[in-house]
Amino acid sequence: MRLSKLSVRNFRNFKAIDIPLSGNVVLLGENAIGKSNLLFAIQLILDPMLPDAARQLRLSDFFDANPPNYDQPIEVSLEISDFDTDPALNALLTDFRTPTDPMVARLTYLYRKKADVAGPVRTSEDCEFVLYGGGDESRGIPGKVRRRIAIDVLDALRDAEGQLGSWRSSPLRHLLEEAVAAIDPVDISKVSAELAAATTTLETFPAIRTLENALRADILHLAGKADIDARLRFAPTDPLRLFRAIAMFIDGGKRGISEASLGSANVALIALKLAEFAWRRRKNERNFSLLCIEEPEAHLHPQLQRSVFKKLFDNNDATQALIVTSHSPTLAAVAPLRSIILLKTDRTSTYARSLADLPVTADELDDLEHYLDATRAELLFARGVIFVEGDAEEALFPIFAKSLGHSLDDIGITVCNVAGTNFRPYVKLAAALNLPFSIVTDWDPQVDGSALGRKRILDIYRDYLQVTRAAPVSPALWQQWEAADFTGFSNAFASLGAFLNDHTFEVSIANTPTLKNPLLDVLEAQGFGSTRTGRLKAWRSGIPVDAVQLLAMIADIGKGRLSAKLAKKAGGLAPPDYIARAIKFVVDRVQ
Amino acid sequence: MAAIRELGHCVVLAGPGSGKTKTLTSAMVRALRDDVLDPRGVACITYSNECAIELETRLQTFGIAPGDRAFVGTVHGFALSQILMPYARCVPIGLPQNFRLATKTEISAAVVVAYNNAINGRDDPQDRWKFATTKRKRDVDRSRPEWYGTNVELAKFIEAYESELRRQGLIDYDDMPLMAFRMLKEHGWIREAIRARYPILFVDEYQDLGHALHELVLLLCFGSGMRLFAVGDVDQSIYGFAGANGDLLEGLTTRGDVRTIRLRFNYRSGAKIIRASLGALGEHRDYQGITGAPDGELSFFPVPYGLDYQAETIASSIVPRLLAKNFAPDEIAVLYRDRWQGDRVAEALKSANIPFVRTDPQALVRRNSRLSRLIEASARWVTGGWRDADPTYARLLSQAISLVFGRRISEPLEQQFSTNFMVFLGGSVGTNESTNAWLRRYSKELIEPWRATARNPEQDWDVCAEMIANTDPAVGLDLALRYFAGRIEGAGRVTLTTMHSAKGREFDAVIMYGVNAHDLPSRRDQQSPTALRDARRSFYVGVTRPRKELCLVYQEHHHSPWIAELAQKMNDV
Repeated sequence: MRLSKLSVRNFRNFKAIDIPLSGNVVLLGENAIGKSNLLFAIQLILDPMLPDAARQLRLSDFFDANPPNYDQPIEVSLEISDFDTDPALNALLTDFRTPTDPMVARLTYLYRKKADVAGPVRTSEDCEFVLYGGGDESRGIPGKVRRRIAIDVLDALRDAEGQLGSWRSSPLRHLLEEAVAAIDPVDISKVSAELAAATTTLETFPAIRTLENALRADILHLAGKADIDARLRFAPTDPLRLFRAIAMFIDGGKRGISEASLGSANVALIALKLAEFAWRRRKNERNFSLLCIEEPEAHLHPQLQRSVFKKLFDNNDATQALIVTSHSPTLAAVAPLRSIILLKTDRTSTYARSLADLPVTADELDDLEHYLDATRAELLFARGVIFVEGDAEEALFPIFAKSLGHSLDDIGITVCNVAGTNFRPYVKLAAALNLPFSIVTDWDPQVDGSALGRKRILDIYRDYLQVTRAAPVSPALWQQWEAADFTGFSNAFASLGAFLNDHTFEVSIANTPTLKNPLLDVLEAQGFGSTRTGRLKAWRSGIPVDAVQLLAMIADIGKGRLSAKLAKKAGGLAPPDYIARAIKFVVDRVQ
Repeated sequence: MAAIRELGHCVVLAGPGSGKTKTLTSAMVRALRDDVLDPRGVACITYSNECAIELETRLQTFGIAPGDRAFVGTVHGFALSQILMPYARCVPIGLPQNFRLATKTEISAAVVVAYNNAINGRDDPQDRWKFATTKRKRDVDRSRPEWYGTNVELAKFIEAYESELRRQGLIDYDDMPLMAFRMLKEHGWIREAIRARYPILFVDEYQDLGHALHELVLLLCFGSGMRLFAVGDVDQSIYGFAGANGDLLEGLTTRGDVRTIRLRFNYRSGAKIIRASLGALGEHRDYQGITGAPDGELSFFPVPYGLDYQAETIASSIVPRLLAKNFAPDEIAVLYRDRWQGDRVAEALKSANIPFVRTDPQALVRRNSRLSRLIEASARWVTGGWRDADPTYARLLSQAISLVFGRRISEPLEQQFSTNFMVFLGGSVGTNESTNAWLRRYSKELIEPWRATARNPEQDWDVCAEMIANTDPAVGLDLALRYFAGRIEGAGRVTLTTMHSAKGREFDAVIMYGVNAHDLPSRRDQQSPTALRDARRSFYVGVTRPRKELCLVYQEHHHSPWIAELAQKMNDV
C-alpha cells in the first residue's frame, strides 16, 4: 500500500492544500512553515496513541484567517492506493474506497461546529470531531484500522538515550521479551543464581555494605516505619525481572549506549524501531507502519544522514513507509525525487509543491536525482533559477548579475547548468516547484533554415503548460510561433522567460567589448605559460577569441576564483543584453 | 472431525441429527482461531435469519462476536451488506446512494408498467410476473445465451421491471443477490475485496439456497480463490417453491476439487425413529443411530373424526400423556403442514389451559425477523435480563445498530444511538405495562426514530405494528410482558410450528398433527411432482425432529399414504 494524497483544509498554516504523495514522504521547508503541523494532521487520522482529548482540537487550530472561519470545518483527508495486493490491508480498507475511484481508499478527519449549536462558535466545546472513510460519514473508522495501519513519530530522536534507557518505552522491550521467552527457565534461574552470588560477593565488601546501610537508614528515617528494604544490586534477582536489566552496550561492552555519540544512539534507535515494526508484523499486531522522523539533521552528522537515509529510502518493504521532515540539503540530496514535498508560504498560507506526479520518464528521473545529489539539492532550496547550457555560463552568470547590482547567492537564485540542451526535465522540476525561472539558450540555426532553438523552447513550453495545468495555447498562436524568425520568436518568448542568443555564448562574450578586456586582464594576471600568454595578447589585439581555449584557461583558474576576481571589476562587466534580461526576469519575480 | 480440519473446498452431507450445526460452528471457530489471521475473517451464509441468529448465538459462546470478523446472515443480507452497500456507489450499476427496498405496492405497480412496456398483452401482468420470477431466479448469469435464448419476452419483461424500479431508486428482494452477482462478475477488485475480508465462505443448508447463491459460490470459490465449506442435506430441501434446488448441492459433490464428507450417524433420534423416517422419506439411506442409544418410541393416534377432533385429542390426551411421562413442556412440539392448522391446535390447547408458543410464520415473535427477535430480546432484558446480563446490552445494541444502519457507524453516532436505546430500556425495567402497552411505546419511542434514520434498506419495520395488532387487548390477545419475554413461572410452553419452520430444531417428543389422506399430501401438493417432492420432504423433516418419541395423529381409515410406508419401515431391522 502507498499513501497517495493528503488534503488539508482550514487547519493551522494551511488554508487549502492537496498534496499528491508517492509512498515515502520527505517534507522540506523552512522553520515554522508547518512541517510538524502536517505531520500532526496525519496523526489525527492514523496515530493509535493519540488520545481523543488531543483529537478534540481547539479554536486556535483553525486556519489563521482574519477573522478565522469556524463555520467551515477543519478537514484532513488521506488517500491510500495499492492496498488490495495485501489481503489484510484490503480487509481493513475496502469499506473506505472512494466512489469515483474504487482503487483508492480515503480516510477523513473532520473537526466542525456541532449541529445543535445555534449561534456562532464560541468555544472549542461547540465543535466536535468525526473520523470516517470513503467520504461517507456513516462509515466510521474503527480503532482497529489505526492499530493496524499505525504511525510512529520519532520526535524523541532528541532523546534517543532516554528512549533506549527506559524499559517501558524502549523498542528493545518486545524483542527481548520474545527472545527471553525462548530460553529454558532453568537456564534463566542459573543466570539469576550467578548474579545473586556476584551480588553477595559485592555485599561482602565493607565499603559497599557501609554505604548500603547508610542509605537504608536515611530512607527509613524519612519513611518512618515502612522499610522498603533498599539494596544495592547489579540486577533484580527475580528471574522474570532479570532480563529487564539487559541493556545495549557499545565498544565491546565497555560503554553504555548513553555514552555513545548522539548520532550513533539515534541510528541504534531507528534500527531498533524498524526491528520492532517487523516484530509487530510477525505477531500480526500490525499490517502497515508509517515511521515519522522529524528533522534528523539536528541529531545526525551529514555522513550519517546520507548513509542512513539512502538505506531507508531504498528499502522497498511494501508494509512500511517513511515520513521525514527536514531542511537539510544533505538529506534532500539522497531523497527519491518523487517523495519530495516542498512547503512554501505565500505570506498568508502555506502551500505545498509535490514532486510525486512529476511527468518525467525513468531516465529523466535518474538524471534529475543525480543532478540534485551532485549539487546538494540546491535547486530544491532556491527561490529562483536560471537555466544555462554549460560551464561557462554557470561560472559567469553570478558575475554578470553582480555587475547588474544583484547577488544571486543572497537572493537565492541558482544557476542550473544542464550540460547540453536537454532542459526539459529540469524545467518540469522548476515548474512543479513553482520556482520563477528563465532559460538562456542558443537559437542554433540549421542549414535548411529551421532552428533547433525554436523546437527546444516550444517543447519546453508544452511541458510547462502540462506541469502547471495552465490553459492550452490557441493553435493559431502556436502556428505563429512555429513560423516566426529569430527576432519575432525571441521577442515573443522573452516575456515567458526564454532568452535566445543567435550565436553561441562564448562568441557573444568575446563580442561584447565591455567584457573582453576585463576578462583578459584577469587571465593575464594568472601568469600562464608563454603559449597562453601569446594567445591572450592576440585576442586583445583583435583576433577572434577561441572559445575552447578560453574555457580551458577558466577551468585552470577555477570558477570560484575567477568569479571572485572578476567580481572586483564588476562595474565594468555589463553582460550581453539577452543575458541581462534573463537575469532581470528571475530577479524581478523573486523580490 | 475430518471436515473441520479440511483445508480445501469441502462439502459435508449431513443427515438429520448428525450434528450439522455443531460441525459448522466448530469449523468456523477453528478457522478463526487457526487459519484466518486478524483482520481477515469468515463469512457464513444461512438460508434464514433464524438460522443466522442460532449460529450467532452459538459462536458467541466461543467468544466470537458477530460483525467483527465473522459475518453471519442470509444470502440477501450478504449481498446487501457486503457488496451492494459498500460498493454499489463505485460502479455503474444504476443505484443511487440512498436506494431502498420497494414495497409490495411499488412492486406490483412496477410489474404493470413493465408489462405494458415490454409485452402489452391481455393477460394479468401479475400472473405473467410469476413466470418471470422463476426465470429471474434461475437465470442468474444473464451474459449466458439462455437469458434471451429460452424466452426473450420474459427476459425483456424482467429488464423493463428492473429498470422501472431503478428509475425510482428502488430494489426488490431478488435484486440483492442478482446485482451482487453482476458486480462480482464484472469487477475483479470486488471479488478480491470479498476474498481479502473473508478467505473462507461457509454455507449452511446449501440445498435450500437456490441459484443465486450457487452462482455466487461458483464465482467466489471456484473462480476467485475463496475456500468453500458447505453443509447440507438434499433430503431436507423444502424450498423448491422459492427457487431452491437440491441438485446444485449434488453437483458440487461430483467436482474433483471438492472433498465430500458424509455424516451418517444420527445422534438425535432413537433407532426406531430413524428407521421410520426413511419410510417417511420413501428412499433408502444408510443412516445409523449410535450403538447403545434407546430405541425411541412411535405412537399412532387414529382419531374417528377430522382436524378439530384431532386437535382436541392432542390437547386432552396426547400432551397430558407426554407430560405424565415426564417430558418437559418445552421439549414437546406439535407440527403441522399449514399455519391455519396451527390455529386449530392453538385454540384447543388454549381451552385446555396448556401454555404454548407458536414459532411458525403466524408466531407473535417471528423467528425469521431480526427486528422481531430484537424486540423479544429487549423484553427479556427489561424483565430481568439487565440483572444477569442475559442477553447482554452490548449484544442488543449491536443488533439494533446493524438493523438500523446495516454496518459500523462512527463513535459519536453510536453514543447517541445507545443513549436513546438505554433511556427506553432502562426506563422499562420494572414496568407494570402489558405487552401491548410496552410494544406501543417501543414502536413510538424507538422504531419510529429508527425508521426515520434507517440506512439499511432491508428492514421489515412493519413487524412491530404486526406484534401490536397480535396482542390487541380489545380481542383478548394481550399478555403480561414477562410472559411475552418467555419468563414464565412453571416449566415452560409447548411449541407449535409448521414442519417447514421446524427445520433445524429438535425436541424430545414431536406430535405430528393432521397426517390425513387429503392433508398430507394436500390437493395442492399433488399438482406437480416438485410440489409433491417438497411436501414429502417436509414430512420427513417433521419425522426426524424427535429424540425419543414421535406421535402421529390422523383420521382413522383416512391416514396419509406415507404413514403406511413409515409403519412398515419402522419394524425392519
